[in-house]
Formats: sequence, structure tokens, C-alpha cells
Amino acid sequence: MRIDYKLQDKFDLWLFVPAILLIAIGLVAIYSSTINHPEVHNNFQRQLTWGIISLIIFFITYSLPTNSFKFLGVPAYFISILLLLVVLVVGRKVSGARSWLYFGGIGFQPSEFAKIATILAISSFLSRTNSNIESIKDIGIALVIGFLPVGLILLEPDMGTSLTFMSLILILLFWKGISLFGLFVVLSPGLVAISSLFGTYYFIASLILVLGALLVFQKDIITSGSIVALNLGAGFFTEIVFRALSLHQQKRIQSFIDPSADPLGAGYNAIQAKVAIGSGGLFGKGFLAGNQTQLQFIPEQWTDFIFCVIGEEFGFIGSIVVLALFMSVILRILKIATSAKDEFLSLVSIGILAIYFVHLVINIGMVVGIMPIIGIPLPFVSYGGSSLVVNMFLLGIIANIYRTRKNYT
Amino acid sequence: MRIPNIGSIQRSSVIYFAILASFFLLSIRLFLMQIVQQQSYDEKSADNSIKAIEQIPLRGVFLDRYGEVLVSNVPAYTLRILPADYDTSLNKLLETVVDLEPGSISKMLKNNRIYSKYVPLRIKRGIDFKAVAWLEENSEYLPGVSYIVEMQRGYPAGVTGSHVFGYTKEISPEQLKREKDYYDPGDYVGHNGLEKEYEKLIRGIKGYNYILVDSKRKEIGKYKDGLNDITSIKGHDLVLSIDAEVQKVAEQELKGKSGAVVAIDPKSGEILALVSAPDYDLNQFSYVTSKEFLQNLYTNPLRPSFNRATMSVKPPGSTFKILAAIAALDMGVITPSTTIYCGGGFTFGRFFKCHGGVHGPLNVIHAIEKSCNTFFYNLIYKIGLDKWYEYANRFGFNNVTGIDIGEEVPGLIPNSKYYEKIYGEKWPRSIMASLAIGQGEVSVTPLQLAQYAALIANNGNSFVPHVVKAYLDNKTGKQVPVKIKEIKTGVTKNVFDIVKEGMFLVVNGAGTATRIRMKEVTIAGKTGTAQNPHGADHAFFIGFAPYENPKIALAIVVENAGFGATWAAPIAQKMIQAYLLKEKVNKLDQRLNPDLQPRIVGASIAN
Repeated sequence: MRIDYKLQDKFDLWLFVPAILLIAIGLVAIYSSTINHPEVHNNFQRQLTWGIISLIIFFITYSLPTNSFKFLGVPAYFISILLLLVVLVVGRKVSGARSWLYFGGIGFQPSEFAKIATILAISSFLSRTNSNIESIKDIGIALVIGFLPVGLILLEPDMGTSLTFMSLILILLFWKGISLFGLFVVLSPGLVAISSLFGTYYFIASLILVLGALLVFQKDIITSGSIVALNLGAGFFTEIVFRALSLHQQKRIQSFIDPSADPLGAGYNAIQAKVAIGSGGLFGKGFLAGNQTQLQFIPEQWTDFIFCVIGEEFGFIGSIVVLALFMSVILRILKIATSAKDEFLSLVSIGILAIYFVHLVINIGMVVGIMPIIGIPLPFVSYGGSSLVVNMFLLGIIANIYRTRKNYT
Repeated sequence: MRIPNIGSIQRSSVIYFAILASFFLLSIRLFLMQIVQQQSYDEKSADNSIKAIEQIPLRGVFLDRYGEVLVSNVPAYTLRILPADYDTSLNKLLETVVDLEPGSISKMLKNNRIYSKYVPLRIKRGIDFKAVAWLEENSEYLPGVSYIVEMQRGYPAGVTGSHVFGYTKEISPEQLKREKDYYDPGDYVGHNGLEKEYEKLIRGIKGYNYILVDSKRKEIGKYKDGLNDITSIKGHDLVLSIDAEVQKVAEQELKGKSGAVVAIDPKSGEILALVSAPDYDLNQFSYVTSKEFLQNLYTNPLRPSFNRATMSVKPPGSTFKILAAIAALDMGVITPSTTIYCGGGFTFGRFFKCHGGVHGPLNVIHAIEKSCNTFFYNLIYKIGLDKWYEYANRFGFNNVTGIDIGEEVPGLIPNSKYYEKIYGEKWPRSIMASLAIGQGEVSVTPLQLAQYAALIANNGNSFVPHVVKAYLDNKTGKQVPVKIKEIKTGVTKNVFDIVKEGMFLVVNGAGTATRIRMKEVTIAGKTGTAQNPHGADHAFFIGFAPYENPKIALAIVVENAGFGATWAAPIAQKMIQAYLLKEKVNKLDQRLNPDLQPRIVGASIAN
């Protein structure tokens, strides 16, 4: 079996096959959720077409010279910032966020493109020969590169996507080797901000935790003081941001905190999603036999709530298979990132890992009721050409890095 | 160069364990939901689903000017099939019971395939009570077959009014796309006439009942005992200016004929009657409309669906002479004492014949009385074509009136530009002669003629013709009047005194319509007979009554009938009798004051 050995040497089947299986499962779920829905029953064919297009893009990316990603980073970043500005002016509104640009008949989300560009840009900044992750300046610049698109995406406002960006920045800094204290400084305001959404008591509790941590780190009074100020600011700032959010996003956050408060409104999706998955049981109700899905209890189920179809019709077994396939892809990327000999490529790999991982955890977390309803798709599985193409492009980069892994020393 | 920290074993392990922990957490959560708590979720999925059922509001009813109900809501039974449960071997039996064409049920089911089979499909509206009793008796052998009570339009006053009221129809896909906010597929909307023009006022506000359904969408009870339900609100009732009696007389008189009748209150522009014949039975649209009915409606050469009152254009014949008389008097080119000699005709390029032999010397009043062509042939050359055109426009010709029942056409009044376009700079001036007597290129609608009669009757001032006077606000019960634009011709009053005297003599002197003279009411008018190149002449009459203080102005057009005096004028007489001589009870005040009498129509049917 010499040929097989050679293929695995240049082409990582452990990465590719699970991803293709996820796309196939996605197609089955999209078919099931749209078959009784006359307005969208060509979504299956559309996704199939996009699947083929994204495969072509995957192979093109796979065969590019690996160096090219390094040179692409900075220009791609500036173009994506430009596009994010353009979309704020001429973008089309979809479910409350001005996030879509249309050229001719084809639409795409600049924030998807910015994901790729931001990974490349931060990675190339952090992998400069003289970079120093211990310096406040370098951390600061990396944060600025990362938070510029976050700010623009929050203006759309698309909270789900900006959340994935924030975690991406964090994981890149962590991978580069930021110190525990540095990580604490970067992370704590975020945690305080989230706690403050739950109410004053949570806000105060999180502040006490921050104070406790500062005692452990034993830094000087000026540093500690400014960190406390930063955290206080984050808490109050969140209140302002929350008020600035669109009404439907506010409702979604509130309904996470108490879904039963409004069973016919925003909490409805959260409840119906859980009922769909929970009622699936061990083996599921069978293909096309899920009543929650077939009677359309969950609106637009083929996009962000696609996991409900799998949970309801294919049960616990089906859900675990999907999780296992994702775990296979993600752990494979971690392996490639760890073994990559080039720092830039290692950082890019871990950034891509972060994108997949955060999407997965938020998406499935939201449908099983342990995360708020934030509209982000499940990679490879959810309906949507734009997201599928970007995910397969990112996978192409990983496959490419794997292909040339021995060339870099 | 590698920096020691990048992808270090420790950091890699941290991420590795974070990933494992997340997957573990999600798996545990899924295990809890799908295995441990499966039963409780399954119960919820099966039983505890909330479905919103739309409550279609009652449409506002139409009342005539005295409060008589012209268009109401009546309950009717609709046969429905739930495709998921239905057995197609029942097709033949059902088709016989509710009297449908063989094969029509399977066709309807086929067309419905793209929609959910858990949503009932309407098979036939308005099935009779015997069929309902049969369905009730045999329900256990009829899976998926049911009936519901729905409201449909009824016409209790015996007024047909097809072209005024219009009908409702299932919403078209295009309109549904445009007005997604309010309508759903299968909703009925006003398709033409008042039903369409006043749709937003009369449609009301939809309500919703929240009910619990099981996995098969079977209803198992109210959600929260109906606490969250929203009751539908009935639409506003419309108060029309129509007089049911006058409308009925006009419809009766036009039976078997083709033509149109419009009667207007000259002081307010309110339309008392508007009939286009042949008309059609609006009741047919309340049910699933039969094929033969639709076929007849659209292929009948007499075109019953065409509103002749606002859409048909014809040269108005001698009724148009009044316009030339008004223009000439108002411009001062003649005075009441100016006489023109009629020697039996008029020569301009060629000879134009007068009718009824030689009239001798005539002034304008007697020229109207005798309908002398020679007088008016001469007159239009004194007025000039473009001046005459301007007066025609002032009386509303060449323009749509703005009536509130939908489609209408502007007709045509030629001017010198028009002829220049056709014949060039040197167009033959002889063409003008026949315009003065309402022949040639002049074409007007019956509605425009009625408006013209109203403007003459009320000395040059009136309001845009309209059918809806007001609506009754569904919350306050108060009458809210509709705003109407005024029309002013700018012609001085004494001009009208002169032409009206001529029109008085047409009926009460030695004129062309003396047969409709009455003791009780003095009628004034003008007959017309328009040549028709395609067949027998069209009969015209315009007039108003009482002469001293006009309360009704009308225009009558009977197609292919012959003389206006013989065929059109008697209809006017009967309508005037119905309006002015018949006693009427005003029920509107009782309706507006609920203390006097409970409001029966419309609202109470819901209960």
C-alpha cells in the first residue's frame, strides 16, 4: 500500500474525511428541515452547489505555495477593514444586522473575510523576529489589530461574530506565550462584562474575584489599581453597549437569562430547540420523522438551529457522531499547530482552530441551552454558501500547512 | 528561529484539555437531555406545542344613505380536507354530496401538494345545510373531512350593485409579496369596486387564538386558557350615498339591455345610483365560484364584468349641445335673444342636415328645446374649437372624475392640436361642425355625463362624484365623513338659467322628451341619439329634477336602442320618482344612536 502511504504523507485524510462527512450530514439535515417548507425547498440544491464550489476552493488553497499566506496577511487585513467600513454604509440588513454586501446577485459577509485576514495579520505581527510577548506594547498592538474589526462588526451590530473574533485574539496571544498575568489582564474585563449582564450581584461578585486574583499576583499598587479601574470600566461600558444593541439581540440575551419569561417571543426558539433535541432520545425519531422539525416549530432551522434536526431525528447517537467528527478535525489541527516548525504557520493553525472551536461551542451550546441564543452557524453543517466557502478555505490552509510541514525548519 | 514559548507542550496541553473538557461537557449535556430527561422533553414535544390560529375579522358592512344594509356578512359552511388524514377513495362520494365536478377534489389536492399536509385545504365554500347534516352524521367514516363556519358577503337589500360594491377574492401571490406584513396566503382581499378601494378601512384587524396542538397538529386545548388570545376587530362600516330604491329601479329598468345609468345629488356630488348593464350576481363570488359562471362572465360578448358607467366611451349626441350653448353664452358670442335661421341644414365645405325639417329662426332656448342641429353647427364656429375644448374640460370631460370605485377612463375631447397631428396644419375645418352636436371624435363616459348634468343643475358648482359618504368608526361608533374635493366651472349663474330654461322646455314645452312630463315633479333634461357605425343608435338622456331646486341629476345611456327620448328618458323618470316621491325611513340615526335600537348588522353575527 505504498500509494496510500504517499497520499497520507501529502494530504491529511484525518482532516479532510471528517470535514466532508460533516458537510454530508449537514446536507441531510438541510433536506429534512426544508422538504415541507415550500418557500425554501431548493436550499438543498443550493447547498450542494456551494459544497462543490467550496471543495474546489479547498483544493486551490491546498495547492498554493505556503509562503503566500504570509504575504497575503497585511494587504488582506486592510482590504477587509475597508470592506467592513463599506458594509456599514451600503450593506443589506439581515435579521437586524447590516452585515451583507451584494455584488451582482452574489452576497457575502465581509466579517467572514475579515476572520481569515485577521488571523493572518495577527499571526504575522506576533511572529516578527524581534517580537516580544512580554512587552505591553506588543500585546497592545496585537489587541488593536484584533479589536479594530471587532469594533466595526459590533457596529453592524453582529454580536455573535464579534464574540468569535475576541476568542480568536485571545487564543493567538495565549499560543504565542503571553504570561499568566498578561492573560489575566486581557481576560478579566471580558468576564466582568459578561457577569454584569446578569445583574448587579454578579457584577460585584466578579469584581471581588478580580481583587482576589490581584492579591495572588502581588503586583505593585499602580498596576493593580489600573486593572481594577479597567474592570470597573468594562462593567459599566457593557451596560452602555447593551442599551445600544438592537432590540432583538437584547431580547435574546434576556431570554437566555430567563427563557420562560417570554415563551412566545425570544425565549420560544430556546425552548423549542431544547424540546427538539431532548425528544430525540437515543436513536432519534428517524429521518424526516421529527415533528418539531417537520412542523416547523423552530424558524429558519436550516441555518443556526441545524443541530436540532440532527438531535431530533438521529438522537443521541447522531449528536455524538457529529461531536466526534468535530473533535477529530479540531484535535488534528491542534496536532498540526503543535508540530508546525514555522511560528507564523503555527499561529495561523491555532487561529483557525479557534474559529472552528468557538463556533462549535457557541452554536451547540446555544441549542442545548447552556449559552445564550447568539446567531452563529455550525461550521460545515449549517446552510449558507458564504460560511461554507470560508470554512473550506481555512481547512485548505491547514491541509496546505500539513503538505509542506517538512519543508520548514 | 523558534521562540521557546510557541506551541509549547504546556500550552498545547492546556488547549487539548480545554477541547476535551468542552466536548465532554456538551456530551454530558446531550446525554442528560436525550437519555435522562428524554421522556419529559418527548411529552412536551408531543403535547405542549403552541399554535397561533388566525381569527379573520368581519369586514365592515355597506349601508345605503338611509342606513339600509346593502352588503352584509353572513355565515356559511366550508368543506375542508386535511390531506394528511384524508382517504382519496372518498373523492367521488364527496363530489356528489357537495355537488362538485368529478375529479375536482383530486385536482385540488394535487395543486396543494407543495403546502404542508397538516394544514386543512378548503374544498368548497357555501355548502348547503343538507350536506353539513350528512357530514355530521357520517363523520366517523370520513377521516380528514371537516367543515368550518366562515363569513361571506351577503346582499340582503336585493341590490345587485356588482360594479359598485365589487367582490373579494383570494389574495394574489404578487399582492401577498407586497403586503406581507398583514396578509397570509389564502386571505381574501377586495378585488374591485368599493371592496378594493376601501380595503384598508373595512378589513378590520386580525386576531389570534393560541392553542395547544400535538405532534400531528391536533388541537388539544387553549394555551393558558386563552389568556394571551387577541380578539379580532371588525372593520369600519361604510355609509354609501347610494339610494337602494333608486339603484334597484335603475337595475330593473336596464335588465336585458346594455348601457349605464348614473344618478348624482348635484349639491354634494354623492352618487345615488350607478348601474352598468349587463351586470352579474355578486353572490356567485361568495362561494367557490362555478366554472360556468366565470366562463360566461369573461366570454360573454356583452362583457358583464366591464363597468360601462366609468369605462365605456361614446359620442354623447345631442346631450352635448348644452355645452356649446353654455360656452357661447358665457363668452358673450351670443345673447339669449340672438337668433339663427335654420333652413333645414348647414353648409361648410359640405352640407350638414338638420333633423325634423326646417326650424326657422331660433334663439338658444328654443334651439335646445327643438335640438336644432343647424343652430349648434353655427355656434361652434363662433366659439372656436380650442375655446369649446376648454369649456368641455371645465365640465370634467377629457379627464377622469376621481370616483372612488376604481377604474375609469378619461374619454376624449379633440382640440386643434389633435387635428393637426392627424391631418397636419391645414386640417379640414368642416370636421368641427359635428362636434357641437356631440358626434365625431367626442367620446365621454356615462359618469362624466352625469357629472355634467349635476354641474348644470347646480349652476356650475359641485363635488367630485363619490359613493362613500362616511365610515362608522368601529371604536367610537361615530360617523367619520370622507373628504371630497369641490368642482367649480367658473361659469356665471345666469348662463345656467338660460340653458336650464331650454332643458325645461325639452320636457315641459314642445321638446323631444315631453312623454316624461309629470305633475308631481318638474323634470328638465336633454335627449340625445348618437349614431353608431357598428349597429343601431345609442340612446342618451341627461336631466335633473326638480327644476326649481335640483336634488337629483342623471345620465342614462342605453346602447343600440334607438332614440334617446324613447329609450333613455323614461328610465330617468322612474328613477326620479323613486328618489323624490317614495317615502324613506332613515335608519341611520337609529344605528348611530345605540340606545334607540341594538345594532344588529355585522357585529352581532360574530356571536
